Amino acid sequence: MATRAAPESTAVEDGARIRGSPRIGTRPGWRIASLLAPAYAWLTLAVFLPLGCMLFFSVLKAAPFGNHPLAFTVENYLAFIRRPYLFDVAWTSIRIGLWTTGLCAAIGLPAAIALARATRGRARQVIFLLVILPFWTNGLVRIFSWTMVLREGGLLDGALHLVASSAPSLSLLYSFPAIIIGLVHAYLPYMVLTCYLSAAAIEDAHIEAARSLGARAPMIFWKIILPLCLPGLTSGSILIFVPVIGSFMEPRILGGRVGVTMGTVIEDQFVQAFNWPLGAALSFTMLAVVLVIFAASSRLLGRIGPR
Amino acid sequence: MVALGRSYLFATIAFLYLPIVVMVAMAFNASALYALPIEPSLHWFAVLMDNGPLLAATRNSLVIACATSAIATALGTLAALALNRGQFRGQSLLRLLLLPPIAIPWLITGTAMLVFFFWTGIGRGIHAMMIGHVALAIPYVVLIVGTGLQAQRSDLEEAAMSLGSTPVHAFFSITLPLLLPSVIAALLFAFAVSLDQFVVSYFLSTPGVSTLPVEIYASIRKGFTPEINAISTIFLGVSTALVLIFVQLSKFGGKLDRS
Amino acid sequence: MTVHLSRRTFNALLGSTLGAGLVALAAPRRSAAATSEITVLNWKGYGTDEAFALKDFAAATGITVKHDYFSSEAEMLTKLRTNPGAYDVVLINSARTQQAQGEGLIDAVDLGAVPNAKDLAPSLKDHPNLQAGGKPYGVAWVWGMNSLGVRHGKVMDAQSWAIFSDPKYASRLALLDDPTTVIGIGALLTGQDINNPKDLNAVVAALKAMKPNVKLLWSSEDQWNKAFSADAFDISVYWSGAAARSIKVHNLPVDFIVPKEGAIGWLDGLSVPASSSKKPAALQFVNYMIDPKFYVTWATQAGAPASANTAAMAQLPADDLNRQIHKSEYLTKLQFMSALPDDRRQAFNDAWEEVKAFYAK
Repeated sequence: MATRAAPESTAVEDGARIRGSPRIGTRPGWRIASLLAPAYAWLTLAVFLPLGCMLFFSVLKAAPFGNHPLAFTVENYLAFIRRPYLFDVAWTSIRIGLWTTGLCAAIGLPAAIALARATRGRARQVIFLLVILPFWTNGLVRIFSWTMVLREGGLLDGALHLVASSAPSLSLLYSFPAIIIGLVHAYLPYMVLTCYLSAAAIEDAHIEAARSLGARAPMIFWKIILPLCLPGLTSGSILIFVPVIGSFMEPRILGGRVGVTMGTVIEDQFVQAFNWPLGAALSFTMLAVVLVIFAASSRLLGRIGPR
Repeated sequence: MVALGRSYLFATIAFLYLPIVVMVAMAFNASALYALPIEPSLHWFAVLMDNGPLLAATRNSLVIACATSAIATALGTLAALALNRGQFRGQSLLRLLLLPPIAIPWLITGTAMLVFFFWTGIGRGIHAMMIGHVALAIPYVVLIVGTGLQAQRSDLEEAAMSLGSTPVHAFFSITLPLLLPSVIAALLFAFAVSLDQFVVSYFLSTPGVSTLPVEIYASIRKGFTPEINAISTIFLGVSTALVLIFVQLSKFGGKLDRS
Repeated sequence: MTVHLSRRTFNALLGSTLGAGLVALAAPRRSAAATSEITVLNWKGYGTDEAFALKDFAAATGITVKHDYFSSEAEMLTKLRTNPGAYDVVLINSARTQQAQGEGLIDAVDLGAVPNAKDLAPSLKDHPNLQAGGKPYGVAWVWGMNSLGVRHGKVMDAQSWAIFSDPKYASRLALLDDPTTVIGIGALLTGQDINNPKDLNAVVAALKAMKPNVKLLWSSEDQWNKAFSADAFDISVYWSGAAARSIKVHNLPVDFIVPKEGAIGWLDGLSVPASSSKKPAALQFVNYMIDPKFYVTWATQAGAPASANTAAMAQLPADDLNRQIHKSEYLTKLQFMSALPDDRRQAFNDAWEEVKAFYAK
């Protein structure tokens, strides 16, 4: 395969295609295929085919055990109609997703920008790794540690009473805010990371130029930094919103009676009720909703594709 | 401005480490029920040393996580390159396909893997857990490396090629070094995903072969004691040490490093 | 529409992988030695795996005991279905014994081969839940109750399940996250049969009325202990044996009370899987389990539910907690959990899911 140099295209075309130019697209299709094949083959074997099995389960009447013959039904996909309380549960899950993603963006983006622009060299490396390190502790133990901080008479309470000893107890545990705190804490590093990757690529020259033209910090932020960080915000949001709406550990442990989400309902079907078909159907319904949201927003933003 | 940025960063890190500090503190607390106030004690570390299964599980976790992160990063980076540097039909669909592993609760995926692996003879065990972990880590790698790629200028490769470089050489000498921060970040994330993965491991483990999160998860049912905190603390200590060594030995920022 | 696929293969493959993968095991299932080793399937930490017991039993009979565990009754059934020959003794709640027998999973027990059985309380030994076709399929082992667990000194007048909706205890109630138990509570409150409440809506209404009081739902003894010691709640529904352990081992200030409407009783039996190849050894183990020697040590060292063996109970000191909690008169007053047809069980599950969603609103 001869090296294909760019010269055939005109200067105008070159200029218009500085970023994301379809270089690979000019190669034969097998090049692209060979890049994609390993990852997607692995995913097919390990995820898509097994999920196909689950899809099969979701149209059964009962988990295929015991001596009953296999019976098919689409009842489980009508779960929301048969069990209207699921709408509330689903809305709770979405609210949890939105709050968590929003707070992670609000806290994480400034942190990422600070990391990219206010630190240098070794310090930056160390801080970056410090942000990642909590990931290497076990999630369940972290959640449990939050119960110690948030519960009545826990650490937060203790700290409050050191400062204002007659204040009433802050019993944050077993509530919606507790769930959000736990989730934000667990997922914040994703957002910091993805935003950092975008922010770190912003060239000083651009900022300098803007400053020399008289732009103040807020303007620089809105017009330069934020747009350039958008890919990071987007990927971070995906990495956070999607798993969060299916989460069940934080709601269960931190939420008390308020902690009922699609995740916990689905888990109940698998572990308590042994109603696998219903659990599977609910999961696929949830997946469908997520895919629709992202397909729609990718069209809107035009961002998930190359620029 | 810089000072503001730094103090904000500091505050964020303090938030991130609050439960970690609690976790470590409780490892040294004598009470089995996590009661306050803390009575300092090394009791749980001693108990931990006797807990053969838990230690074996930890070892398994580490082995699997190392292998997983290496494989997932390699596969995911290649895929990210194709998805972000080209334009071809079906690109959006392929991106959407990355979502199911993250979107579907791991409980479902784990059960599904269990059934399917048995059917196809793959079975259970460390190899099965690895297959599962890599599959779950790939989407993260693709998304993270993809973000890094989108931030870069691809015209540098074109320039190199117009000067006579082969595409492969251009990739290795230009793209990859620029991409290094993202790739390393993805590697670290894949490692974390595998390390903390308990649901899939739960289903795919065989008797006697378990991983740390599975043991912890199982303990949640039966009753867990600060042994769990003890091992998590040790783990954290070792990871910190490794990370610091890594920082010492490598210049991780690549050409984007502003030092 | 029913479709018969290669059901046996399908079920066996599916089930065996699921059953096997569902729990991280500590013990291998197959043993190399022929009759000098048996495998017991039980909850973790529930008597049969007490270290002293295994030692004593091995010393007395030369039989080593290995264990496999489950963390839900449905899991127990799956393991039985899909691992023929793997287990020799299995703990089955009497509410599930007939279900297991109906699938041919367990064998009838020859009580003549279990000498200690003669001391079992007749109402338990011959309990209808354990019988099928006039033959016993499980040996009554221990019984207990799900009833009120309240904070000593703070809750003075707990006589009825109604305190669960008493405004005095707003946000101080912990419920067990188990459909059969909570439906049972609702049934007792509305004067119905816990196994077949005719008016499920009334039960659900009674449960929904508890909403202002519910603080959290617990699902393991450890979780209950930790939350109670952290002062998260004052009233709860709790297991009787667990209450004894919480008081003895953890020194928690809890009172275990049987209210006027009654408590929910359960009877656990030991059964022998039909596919076991070591039935005589299995029966020897069962015999040891209902032996007063084992029971008294277990109860006094750790805390346990009540033994079905009246002689064993009689050997407990009069001030023993296990004995005080599990009064023998309860045997006639309690409603015991019984077998449920699948669709009723599903109805209970759905009702509880609905109540939980209501609590969360």
